[in-house]
Order: sequence, then C-alpha cells, then structure tokens
Amino acid sequence: MDSKDTLNKYGVVGSGSFGIAIANLLAENGEVLMYTRSEDQMTSINADRHLKGQEMSTRVTATNDYKQLAEECYLIFPIVPSDNFVDMLEELAPYLKPSHILIHGTKGLYTPKKISNEIPLRKDEVFTMSELIKIKTGVVRVGCLAGPNLASELSEHQPAATVIASRFNEVIEVGQQALKSNRFQVYGSNELLGVELAGVLKNYVAIASGMLTGLGYGENARALLITRGMAELIYIAKALGASEKAFLGLAGIGDLIATCNSSKSRNYRVGLQLAEGKNLEEIIASIGEVAEGVKTLQIVKALQKYGYRAPLAEILYKIVFEDLPIKKGIDFLMRFSADKDAEYIV
Amino acid sequence: MDEHQKINNKLDPVIPEITEWPIYKLSQDQESFLDETITKTIDGLLESYGDASVLHSELKSILYQEKNRLTKEPWKSDSPEERIFWSEIKRQILLTDKIEEEKKKYKEDKKIFRSILTYYSKEIVANFDPKKYKVARKVLPFLFSRLMNASPGNKLKFLFGNKKTIYDKFNITGPIDHVRNLSKKGTVIIVPTHFSNIDSPTIGLVIDIIGLPGMTYGAGINLFTIGILSRWLNDLGAYKLDRRRKNKPYLELLKNYSTVAIKRGAHSLFFPGGTRSRSGQIEKKLKLGLLGTALEGQRQNLLNFQEDTAKKIFVVPVVLNYHFVMEASSLINQHLAYEGKEQFIPEKDDFSTSYKLLKLIFKVITANPGMTISFASPMDVVGNEVDFEGNSINNIGQSVNIKDYFTLDGVMKEDKQRDQVYTGILGERIVEKFLSANTVLSSHLVSFVAFEMIQREFKGLDLYQFLRVPVDEIEIDIEDFKVELNNIKEKIIDLYAEGKLRVHDRIKGENEEIIKHGLKNLGVYHPSMPLVKNSNGNIITQDLKVLYFYHNRLMGYGLERHFE
Repeated sequence: MDSKDTLNKYGVVGSGSFGIAIANLLAENGEVLMYTRSEDQMTSINADRHLKGQEMSTRVTATNDYKQLAEECYLIFPIVPSDNFVDMLEELAPYLKPSHILIHGTKGLYTPKKISNEIPLRKDEVFTMSELIKIKTGVVRVGCLAGPNLASELSEHQPAATVIASRFNEVIEVGQQALKSNRFQVYGSNELLGVELAGVLKNYVAIASGMLTGLGYGENARALLITRGMAELIYIAKALGASEKAFLGLAGIGDLIATCNSSKSRNYRVGLQLAEGKNLEEIIASIGEVAEGVKTLQIVKALQKYGYRAPLAEILYKIVFEDLPIKKGIDFLMRFSADKDAEYIV
Repeated sequence: MDEHQKINNKLDPVIPEITEWPIYKLSQDQESFLDETITKTIDGLLESYGDASVLHSELKSILYQEKNRLTKEPWKSDSPEERIFWSEIKRQILLTDKIEEEKKKYKEDKKIFRSILTYYSKEIVANFDPKKYKVARKVLPFLFSRLMNASPGNKLKFLFGNKKTIYDKFNITGPIDHVRNLSKKGTVIIVPTHFSNIDSPTIGLVIDIIGLPGMTYGAGINLFTIGILSRWLNDLGAYKLDRRRKNKPYLELLKNYSTVAIKRGAHSLFFPGGTRSRSGQIEKKLKLGLLGTALEGQRQNLLNFQEDTAKKIFVVPVVLNYHFVMEASSLINQHLAYEGKEQFIPEKDDFSTSYKLLKLIFKVITANPGMTISFASPMDVVGNEVDFEGNSINNIGQSVNIKDYFTLDGVMKEDKQRDQVYTGILGERIVEKFLSANTVLSSHLVSFVAFEMIQREFKGLDLYQFLRVPVDEIEIDIEDFKVELNNIKEKIIDLYAEGKLRVHDRIKGENEEIIKHGLKNLGVYHPSMPLVKNSNGNIITQDLKVLYFYHNRLMGYGLERHFE
C-alpha cells in the first residue's frame, strides 16, 4: 500500500452531514477517498468542493467505485444510516480483506425481523453495526466512533471529542492517528458493545428532551430526565450483555447531554415537534432524514421480555405510536416513583 | 468433505516412516529446540521486567515457591535431586545478594535464571523414541482388545476370545480424511474436550488408529506416577507439566515449548479447557494461554518464512464421550464446592494405581459403544473453516489469506493484544464446534430428561438445596418420562438436522430402546446408580449429584427451557 513518504489515504462511505464532517477531519491528517453513489455529489465534491452546504477539504476525493475504495484504503469509516447499512456492506464486502479495518460511525440498531408490537424480539435478532460488519464481511478488526459529535458544530471547527471503541487496541490507535487534531480529541475504549449501545439508546431520551422543551418545562425537569434516562439505558445495556462503563464516559453521559440539549439533534427535534402537535409522518417529512430514536424505541419495546425496567421507553412508545397525550405521558414519567439514586453503580 | 465419516478399521499411516515424523525430527534436534525455547522465554521475560532488580526478586520468589511446594505439596513424582538443585540455587542467590556492582549482579542473576529454566526444560521435555512408540502402539491396542472381549458375564473371553476388535468399541466420526490431508499440508493441533483421565490414552490411541503421526502433547506430571500410564505417556512422547508450579517463568516456558514445537512443525495436542470439566458440561471457557501458542506459532511462521513455505496451522476440535466417567462423583463434588472460584484443586483421584486404571479402562470399553470420538471440521488459527487443501474460507465464503489477519497497512506486524483478541475468537469458535460435534448418547438423553423432570418437581429450591433432597423422595412415573423423553428427543433431532449437534444412531431409533439402553449404560459402575428402575417400573435415582453431572452434558443447547 502507501509508502510512508506519501500521506495515508482514508476511506469514508456515506455523504450525510456526519460523513462529511468526518471526511474533513480525516483530511487534516491524510488524503480521503469518499464513496458516494450519486454522480451529482461526486461533481459537487470533486469540482465544486461543496456538499450539502459544507465546504469540502481539497484532500477529499469522491468515488462511486467500492473496488477502488477498498484497494486504496485499508482504513475505512462507514457512516451511513442504519437502514442502508446492510446493503452498503453487501456491496462493499467482495472487495474487503481481513487486512482492512472498519470503524463505523452509525448510531443505530438493525433487525432483519419485521418489528411488531405482538411478537417480541430475541437478543440474537438485533444487531449493532459492528456485529453486522462481522457477519456480512470478512473484516474482523472492527471499531466504532461515538460521542457528542453534532455534525453542524464539527463543520464549524468547534472543539470536540469522540470515542473510538474496539476490542483491538491497534484499531483504536490507527483511528486516533487518523482523526485527532487540535480541535478534535479521540479517546479509546475496549467496550465496543457498551459504546455502541450508548450511542444508539440515548436517541430516544433525546426525543423526550425535545418534548420537555415543547411542553415548556425547564432545566430541572431535563436534568431529571437525563439522569433517570441514563439509569434506564444502563439497565437495557446490561440486559443486552454490555457493562455500564461506557455509559459514564464521553459516548454515554457526554453524548446524552449534547443530544438532550441541542435543537440541532434530529431526535430532539422529533420530540419538540410532537409536543407542538405534529404527527410522526409530517415530522419525518420535514426533517428529511430518519431519526434513529424512533426506530430504537420500537426495538427497545420489542426486546422488553428481557425484563429490564424501561418506563421511559414504554411511555414514549405510547405517545409516538399509540396516541397517548404527551402531557399525560410526560407528567406520569416525572412523577415516576423515586428509587435509590445511581443504584446502577455497585 | 464428509463430516459424518465413520472409521471401522485402522487407517494407513499418513507418513509410514516414523523417522519422517515431525515429532521425531523435533526430538533429534532436542538441543537446539530447547535452546530456542529457553532463549525466547528469557528474552521475553527480561523485556517485561524492565529493571534489573526485578529479576533478582523474581529469582527469590521462584526459590520460595519451589521450597514451599517441596515441603507442602510433595508428590511421588518429585525427583530426589530436586532438593539438591534448589539448595544450589539458594546458595547462588545468596552469593549474588552480596555483589554490589549492578552490572555484575545482573549478569550473575541472568546465569541463575538460565540454569533454572534449563532445569525446568529438562523436566518438561518429551523423550520420543520410535522403538518404544512402535511397541506402545502395538501392545496397548492388543491389551485394549483383550479387555474389551471381557464384558460382564463374559470373563473367559477376556483370556481366550478374540472376536471383537478395538474398532468396534471406538466410535470415531468426523472429517478424518480431511484432517489426514491437512497433516501433510501443515501442522495439525488437536484440541479435545476433557472429562476423564482416560482421555489422554484414548486420544493417543485414536490418533494412531486414524493414521496421524505422533503428536506433541503435555500431560500432568502426576499422571507419570501411574505405572502403565507413565510408560504409555512417555513412550508416546508426552511432555510433562506440573500444575503445582505457578511461577510466571515456568508458565512462559511451557507456552514457549508449545509455540516453538508448533513453529517447528510438530503436530500438537492439548486440552484447551486446561483441566477436566468438573461439572460434566462441555467446556464453555477455554484457557487461552496454551491456545495462544497456536496463533503465535502461525504468526512466527509467517514472519520468518516466505509465504509459500510458511507452514499453516490447523486447529481440530474433538469431543470425547463416554456413558461412564469414573471420576464423576469427585468431579461434581469439586465443581459444587469450588463453583465460581479459580482455585487449585488437589489432583487426587479415585484411581491412582495401574490396577485401578486398567479396571477403569476395562469398564469404559465394556459399555456399548465404549467411546465416542467426534472430530469437528478443521479451522485456521483465527477460527475460519479450511477446505480440503487447507485454504482458509471466511464466514462469508471468501477464500482468504491468513497473512492478512496479521498485517497493518500492508506490513506484517507483531501485536500481542491483537493475538489475544484472535485467540479469544478462536476459543469461541472451538466451543461452538464442541457443541456441534458433541454426540448425544442414550445415557445423556435419559439423564438429562430425568434430572430436569425431578428439578421441576422441586421448583422452589435453588440448585444446592435441591441437590440435598433425600433421594427416596424422588420417583418419576415411567409414562410421564416417556412423554418428556420424546419431546426432548424431537428437539434434539431438530438440532441434529440443523447441524447443531450429532446423535448416536441409537437416538434415531425407538424410544423404548433408548430408555432401556440409556438406563443400562448410564454410569453403570458407580456404587450408587444415577438412574434405575424400581419395582413399579418407575424411575428413581440413588445419586442426584452424579445424575446432575451426566445431565450437564446436554447443557448449552437451550433444551432445559422446555421444562420451565
């Protein structure tokens, strides 16, 4: 591959706002090859140096050829919505080798099953994105990227930090070398499942946070939501086999605070607009992209036979899918019987 | 690839000339082999110590532990010269204590260190002698055959009959031709489950039956005190490991012994569970230390040789099954006592003399089938399947190059932490293969169903309370038993169809026969029977804990959920 006289070349799959932000961060340390399916987007990147209102570094080149991407980059960052993740992997897989390293930045869960209220899901029917990579490709050295990384703030070059999680230290190290800069710190963790779940599960708490704002509630209520929401996420994660460790870090509490306080978060906006009286279809149409939190809610609900306590997910599910009046639901949650504080830490 | 190949006769050796066997070549190069092993161990450890003073305190700590072992846990196998050796080491350590110049002190310490490791290595090293091997492989099967013809009530045949051959009693299944072919292409590592002390002789004999060359394998030094077993192990070329020794240099030396042997192409065998399964359940967690030597051997080969000459390493899980495990009672008691704790368990067994061991072998093989040995399909060191020619095939069916797992940005690189993760993955794959190659015997099925039915009757009790229930309060209605047995049997047949386990042919037959055969053979020689029919034709137990042990063989498939 590259001789060390030349710059490293990193691959990115996906041209959403987060993908673009990551490509620009990578470009500070090397060249970037960015996969996009659309010819228009290729032109925007290669010729105009702009995509979706964001400026693209001159070190970013676009391609629509997976083969080229796999041949030129041993380190690839797939950052596509969870609904498209499997298709992307199936197209990319023929070109990947065990020498590749994949660090994904997709906060979502996948199930091949149709989610229904009647049939519960089994644990082995729900996959994180790194699990999908291991099932659908021959790549073993897998990691994920998670943390409070609102794409719009990254594109404004504001300081931020992220976590790369992997069972392999070398994955963390190459990821750090590729991404770190003066404005972007990269922490490492071996708690891959915990970090992935923290990134995914927090999404529905953000929906609730948006609702609080919509109902006119203030910061006391939000702080209550965040701390009790965090406890709930930890119960779920433990039931799914992760430890609580990741939840106390940047990808857990860090991300939760950012998404619950930001009107830039899609999930937050879903909650806000629901509180303003819009229905789900209207909201999805207006936001344009999928809010992962809605799907996460369905999966968490369908997994409930694992016996974790998830009152927040339950009430939110009733609000979003079963027309429970928002105020009634949220007030119920706010009065939910008090237990010991931070009881999840043993 | 025929996963259900059955072996009914002795196969021709893959390499007819013993002097061409890798294990023989290793013994011919013993000096350089041991030197490489010792040097590798010293280099690795000195690097990890960093500071010179750490070595000096390590030496003192080894001495302390060895002296302790000799006084507190003496074994018959301990050589009388050991005390002399350690006294000499003590004298030398005291001398270096007095040296003030750092460099000189370090130099002396290193000398002592090397002499300790050299001493260890001489104790460990296997002595492979082709002549003795030839005798062992002829005499022992002969003895086995004689013993087998003497089933209960058939005593005279023990001496005079010769109708049955050993192959009638060894039920060997799995992709044997595949494994044989791989032994020509690269280095084969056999990793069996471990339930009984007779596993070692059994697998040794099986390897010879299927025509594989002799293998390097470690056996607990205590086994070398049992007369006939000692001879057998020695003659087959087993190396010795002493489980009382816990000091890091000794453990590292053992690991490197295995790594260097594998690297030099010696086919190897080790029990990845470490010791015998106490619970009777198929090993769920493996000891990754020794398993890691397979991975390191492979990586070293790739680093040191051109791609086309670097030998590939193949891992073959094997499941051993018996109707009867003589140590069942002491194993399950240890399991219950030590549950959840990593503790040293004294190697004290129900049999420790040649006579008792022979009796045990006799008892096991007079059952029918005597022993079931199920080979799983071979893998590479990161857990990929390999085809007949030894090419790695990954989880999505791509042919992959093993080297690619060890490269970063196109460059082969050593990374211990990466090795550990790969070894963990390999361990998980071996456990999966143990479960899918496990062959269900009639006795497993009846004990599983009976235990679960009894436990359901005492739902409120936890396991430990339940196991103390007086056995005369327990009786299973035979008609209920037939119904539940049929339910579980159907589930097992479904799992079999999905390739998730194997079944003995008898399991496919009539339920009445399964029950009759299972009850007759289950732990038949225990003083208290795990299961027996009473005068009403119902089923009772005389030893719930031993029943629990045999029942555990079918844990890991979710079958117990049926009884919830």
